[in-house]
Amino acid sequence: MKYIGKEIVGLPTRQLVAGKGQYVSDVILDGMLHMAIVRSPYAHARIKSIDTKPAEAVPGVVYVITGKEVIENMRPIMEAYDTAAMDAKSVKCYALCPERVRYVGEAVAAVVAEDKYTARLAADLVEVDYEELPVVFDAEEAMKPGAPLVEPDWDSNVMVTRDFIRGDLDKAFAEADGTFSGTINTQRYTGAAIEPRGYVATYDPYQDMLTMWASTQNPHPMRVFLAETLGIPETSIRVIQPHVGGGFGLKIPTFQEEPLIAYLARKLARPIKWIEERQENLLVGGHARQNRLHYDVAYKKDGSVIGFRAKVIADVGAPAALCGWGQSFVTSYCIPTCYKIPNCRVQLFTVVTNKCPWNAYRGYGKEAASFLMDRVMDGVAKATGVDRAEVRLKNFIQPEEFPYSQVSGAMIDSGNYPKALNRVLEMVGYKDFPKLQADARKQGRCIGLGIGQELTPEGCSMPKSTLLSGYDGCTVRVNPSGQVTVLTGVTSPGSGNETGIAQIVADTLGVDVKLIRVIQGDTDTCPYGLGNYSSRSIIMGGAAAQVAGTDIREKMFKVAAKMLEVAPADIDSEDGKIYVKGAPSRYVLFKDVASTVYRDCYGKFASDVEPGLEATRYFRHPNVYHQPEVDGRFSSYPSWPNGVSACVVEVDPETGIVKLLRYCAVHDAGVLINPLLAQANLHGGIIQGLGGAMFENLVYDEAGQLKTASFLDYTIPTAVDCPSLEVEHQETRSPFNPLGCKGVGESGVTAPLGAICSAVENALGHLKLNFDEMPLTPDRVWQEIRHAQQQA
Amino acid sequence: MISEEFEFRAPTKLAEALSLLERYGDDAKILAGGMSLVPMMTLGLVRPKTVISFNHITDLNFVIDAKDVIRIGAMTRHDTVAHHDLIKKHLPLLATAAVGIGDVQVRHRGTIGGSLAHADPAADYPPVMLVAGAQFRIQSAKGDRMVKAAEFFTGLMQTAVGAGEVLSEIHVPKLPAGAGSAYLRLHRVEGSFPIVNAAAVIEKGFKSARVAIGGVGESAVMIDVTKHLSKGVSDQSLRAISDAAYDASGDAYGDLNGDTEYRRAMARVYAQRVIKAAAAQIR
Ligand SMILES: Cc1cc2nc3c(=O)[nH]c(=O)nc-3n(C[C@H](O)[C@H](O)[C@H](O)COP(=O)(O)OP(=O)(O)OC[C@H]3O[C@@H](n4cnc5c(N)ncnc54)[C@H](O)[C@@H]3O)c2cc1C
Repeated sequence: MKYIGKEIVGLPTRQLVAGKGQYVSDVILDGMLHMAIVRSPYAHARIKSIDTKPAEAVPGVVYVITGKEVIENMRPIMEAYDTAAMDAKSVKCYALCPERVRYVGEAVAAVVAEDKYTARLAADLVEVDYEELPVVFDAEEAMKPGAPLVEPDWDSNVMVTRDFIRGDLDKAFAEADGTFSGTINTQRYTGAAIEPRGYVATYDPYQDMLTMWASTQNPHPMRVFLAETLGIPETSIRVIQPHVGGGFGLKIPTFQEEPLIAYLARKLARPIKWIEERQENLLVGGHARQNRLHYDVAYKKDGSVIGFRAKVIADVGAPAALCGWGQSFVTSYCIPTCYKIPNCRVQLFTVVTNKCPWNAYRGYGKEAASFLMDRVMDGVAKATGVDRAEVRLKNFIQPEEFPYSQVSGAMIDSGNYPKALNRVLEMVGYKDFPKLQADARKQGRCIGLGIGQELTPEGCSMPKSTLLSGYDGCTVRVNPSGQVTVLTGVTSPGSGNETGIAQIVADTLGVDVKLIRVIQGDTDTCPYGLGNYSSRSIIMGGAAAQVAGTDIREKMFKVAAKMLEVAPADIDSEDGKIYVKGAPSRYVLFKDVASTVYRDCYGKFASDVEPGLEATRYFRHPNVYHQPEVDGRFSSYPSWPNGVSACVVEVDPETGIVKLLRYCAVHDAGVLINPLLAQANLHGGIIQGLGGAMFENLVYDEAGQLKTASFLDYTIPTAVDCPSLEVEHQETRSPFNPLGCKGVGESGVTAPLGAICSAVENALGHLKLNFDEMPLTPDRVWQEIRHAQQQA
Repeated sequence: MISEEFEFRAPTKLAEALSLLERYGDDAKILAGGMSLVPMMTLGLVRPKTVISFNHITDLNFVIDAKDVIRIGAMTRHDTVAHHDLIKKHLPLLATAAVGIGDVQVRHRGTIGGSLAHADPAADYPPVMLVAGAQFRIQSAKGDRMVKAAEFFTGLMQTAVGAGEVLSEIHVPKLPAGAGSAYLRLHRVEGSFPIVNAAAVIEKGFKSARVAIGGVGESAVMIDVTKHLSKGVSDQSLRAISDAAYDASGDAYGDLNGDTEYRRAMARVYAQRVIKAAAAQIR
């Protein structure tokens, strides 16, 4: 392997660093119009009437559209996550709300104008007459009988439930040495990509062709969604994904603006652009994370957990066509994460409220499960006096116990949790920390160490799904001159999988990686594929590239074998040479073999292989299983990367300020194709995780207005706020994936939650604090400290 | 997005700007660094009919040694305030305050005049201006007056600068020889506004001592703590100062960064800390 496992700078890096990337915003077409959205100012209201005349009167306004035209001409937006397949309730959501809005910011009308300023100005003049309806903002309030209904046609606000049980809980709680209960709140937050959403749509009536440039993660599924929603053939749509400035799951379809702009471009037969503003992005660009988790623990004196009950209450906002609500399912699916708890029950209540709908966000519910278990393990340590690390080691699923089936039926493929934990403890200096801490205390400083464990199943594959069905495709084409074109069904939101895929193909063919050009994100040129989510681009897209590359390699070896007068089994390739094993001086050039196939297909070397050097192959993951009706098995996540972090913080007890001094992580994603890019993903993930642990919070007021709709109030950390991160990798190969990879895209984002809480509690050990709510902003930490001091 | 059209003027002389201001009155807004005005316009909080840019008026951008005071032109950028030798020498606390404002971009665009005229209750400069006893030159087509810091900040985002007037320069007395001074801020992440901030100046021999605290009321509050420090810094004097800070911050507001109680508690902490830091600088 010349390239796999090597640190290669991302192929698009130079272009992006030079500021020469091409984003949707850079798509400028002749005669292009601009769209602006009229959004609901109310959290729940009936639309009584809409007067578009004042907007239409503005010079430069080309068209104003409302929900009335939308329902007459379009279908409801196709669901990104099939509710029926998951036994969940559904709603019909349209590109514009025809009669009722269910959260502040939901789109009710749109204006198209010659320039974006006129469009915005006119949109503000559209007069909508609303009749306010009862609202509900808290999930547990929403579950009470008689609560206002977000969807009047539903019998309750509970969208879906699950109940997973294993063992005998009553017995476990009766036999325990001790029990405790608690509740954890994870706040609502979001990914805040540097580039907000954006689309440019244009229509050629002569070819009946709609072309849409979209800042999306999933061009092919988007094309299906658009076709279904607009009622037009897929072949009349081309979706192109230019560079994307961050996705994090939040750029997965299906947003209202997508079919809306597509419809308008067709209707007006002119190009239209819409670039989301930052306030819109924070208001409606997809939220995530808001959960309340109730739990009961039964433990033995030695720190082993023998019984565990969790009740997950997910506040997914208003139901929509987006796939965000599925995160709640994943939370319940992952509990109790890395731990082997013989008696366990996990209940899920996915609840709708009058807030922005969830969309997918890096972590996709796994973070809540891991955070819960971190709090539980720390709780057991406090209750028993057994060391925090010891408690984890005691309860871990052991390396030889994989594949291990969790209470939800989730099949965890592999891992070595004790090894990773022991290593991170070594990195952070766990053994000597108490002395360091005592010394610091003598100088009046409160430092603390925390541990956070994360388990992030990847490669999500769901039945009956357009978006999530869990395979991907790749075309490998060796050109007549020997350079290689790779077309993938997966896409990169800036994370670098194109580079990893080039490395895989380079090694498969034995050529210089510089000869490979990877093309992604165009439904007209790339093979059908599902795009980017759930860290799937290498585990699915990389594997497909390897399969396609292997086809070409075998074909070329056949020809080369004839040229070298040996058997195909006796040859190998490297550095652009196809050579006889054991006699590397006997070789033919890779490019000469390509030339022979293309230029001499009736000649003596290539006449028994099919002309052309192109293969399109698909990859389906061996560890996914969707036939519960056959043997009761259902496994939707084929690979289970995991990691553990240990951090050191200093808390200023007078102000509540938490300063991160060190952050160490050991991460296991199996084989790393490109450790540099894996590291970069980890860094980004960890900083996003720190944001959630310490700063980020989407806050609504009592009227359902978002109070944090700008970066003045929505605080995100940057590189300046982080110490240099110390990240190491451990490699436990995936036993199922042909590359041995497990996926790294969501890694790092989860462990900071538990690690920071644990560290702050440890720093203030004398106060016996218990953090069950995030983020740990200075004022909150201060309040907890003061509360504890008053109690004492 | 700023969707409404507005007229844009960019005079090169202050006199021209003043006559434009007189003509347009309340319909006009001065554009200095734009770091507060532009976001307010983007969010639709202000909708001026005319924007008068001061960015081409070169004679408002200066830092001058004028015997007992440092004169700073209103259009001097935060970055210049942060790194100017005269300011670092004679008003180190002002340089410290400027260094912490926002981020690199904000410091290169934003101006000291714009920040003071904007008068955000948690801005970095006001506590410094109060403890340093700054004077503000306010000019209009009709007049030219000086206003003391204590009278300059008149309320929440309100100053003594009236309609048709501009803040043209700030005169900050040099610290007395041997005086100690300090500036501290409490914030969440780099680039964010202070939650609470504090500045202090203590004259050599504790002849006088002042502390001012921002983020705990409609505008920064100043407390003369000379009497508490007559015998120097002690636990007892610090306690008295912290009580005084708590009392002075009774009007503290609450927002997403901290409620009233937190801000008042931080007024205590920062008053103590800034006094200790300033006392340590006495030479
Ligand atoms: C991301 C970000 C972070 C920031 N962080 C901080 C921070 O940490 N601390 C802090 O203190 N500030 C912070 N600010 C605000 C920043 O300091 C601004 O520069 C300052 O508040 C306004 O100065 P300006 O020159 O940009 O003025 P402008 O935005 O141009 O003007 C502000 C207001 O003052 C008026 N005005 C401007 N100049 C004059 C004048 N000479 N006479 C009369 N009226 C005038 C304008 O009409 C307008 O109403 C931040 C801003 C941003 C965007």
